[in-house]
Amino acid sequence: MTAVPPRPVIQYEGVVKTFGTFTALRGVSLEVNHGEVVCLIGPSGSGKSTLLRCTNGLEPIDSGRVLFDGVALPAQPKALYRVRQRMGMVFQSFELFPHKTALDNVAIGPITVLGMPRTQARERAMALLDKVGLADKAGSLPAKLSGGQQQRVAIARALAMQPEVMLFDEPTSALDPETIGEVLNVMKRLADEGMTMVVVTHEMNFARRVADRVVVFEKGQVVESGPPEQIFDAPKTTRTRDFLGHLGWQG
Amino acid sequence: MTLQWSVVWDNWPALLHGVLLTIALTFTTMAIAVPGGILLALMRLSPIRPLNLFATCFVELFRNLPIILVVYWAFYVLPVLTGLSLSAFATGLAALCFNVSAYNSETFRAGIASIRAGQTEAGLALGMSRSTAFRTIVLPQAWRRVLPVLASTWVSLFKDTSLVSVIAVGELAYTALQIRSQTFRVLEMLTAMAAIYWLLGYPQAKLVDWIHRRMGVLE
Repeated sequence: MTAVPPRPVIQYEGVVKTFGTFTALRGVSLEVNHGEVVCLIGPSGSGKSTLLRCTNGLEPIDSGRVLFDGVALPAQPKALYRVRQRMGMVFQSFELFPHKTALDNVAIGPITVLGMPRTQARERAMALLDKVGLADKAGSLPAKLSGGQQQRVAIARALAMQPEVMLFDEPTSALDPETIGEVLNVMKRLADEGMTMVVVTHEMNFARRVADRVVVFEKGQVVESGPPEQIFDAPKTTRTRDFLGHLGWQG
Repeated sequence: MTLQWSVVWDNWPALLHGVLLTIALTFTTMAIAVPGGILLALMRLSPIRPLNLFATCFVELFRNLPIILVVYWAFYVLPVLTGLSLSAFATGLAALCFNVSAYNSETFRAGIASIRAGQTEAGLALGMSRSTAFRTIVLPQAWRRVLPVLASTWVSLFKDTSLVSVIAVGELAYTALQIRSQTFRVLEMLTAMAAIYWLLGYPQAKLVDWIHRRMGVLE
């Protein structure tokens, strides 16, 4: 995509994460380069969402390291807040703030976190709503929007912080089939603009078309990693083949 | 038996003063017990053990004692305990605040717990601190959910202020009962007292119903 040599933005080094007696991540090592779109796929419970949540410290890790821009995630809360400002996150269940309009949902980050004046934050929010095709819904409460519209507002909300990386946690899994396309289109456009993206997804067509690299998870480990052509057309491991076979993937 | 309603009209300035004091007690108690309740709820949700323990003891103590007992207790024990000589009004206010804060704390705790963790996480993911996420995202939503309960507490409190009459706070109940014992017009004064409480309380109850309907439809 770019001629510049790859510069790792996110590095996972032997990340281990346990929940009680359950080990969600068994030493995952991975790099995400600047401008790269990496899709994490794999069965439910394989650890891909957990890895995403460890990326911005929503889940603390048990051992290993997560580095952002070459620096390990800080343990000190205030420093961690500052790192999170540079990463946008989109959730499966949208998590829009139901008591605020679409516009205020997008403007709230710049206002509360960056201390931006309200009028300026609203201008930025309006431009972003326009970008995701929802300028006409600026005054609507989330409850009045469809799932696809809510998720597009959520993407705009994350973009309002002008993040260096976007993390997507199964952004279309809670959507009606007819609204999935509009969300994927927004994500595709974002990828085309050169945004660094880590996407946990079950949308194999999206992974195939948009990802620079696809990483297959199983039981808390990376089974295979490579360009989409390799993963989907010539998978190197049987476990990748099995997983795609279960999805009815024909290649 | 002849009724002499003139006793009510003749004493209206005193009764009005009583009404104003009742209203003042209700407002002041709530003004203290709402932040007090939020604070106690946060302490109970806090992982810091001493805070948690203190709030739990406070809530479980005052929620399970009759208010009238707390009023007496505040009147006799508080001055000894603190060395302060509080006015009857301040003593009654303190007793009501203890009780209502304990109730409000449980109300807020339930309201805060009803907001799913993803909402806080969405705030954190934007780079908010925990306290900013709580103030701007969790609390406003919890507030809407608990408003009907708070309104019901308000109406109960309005009537319960009459309990501080036992330590001679000159609110409506005390004033009416005083006039009763000075004039021996028992039936007239009790009827007047009932009418005044009802006339003031009924619109508040209607307001609560309205809040229930308004807030019920959110999300």
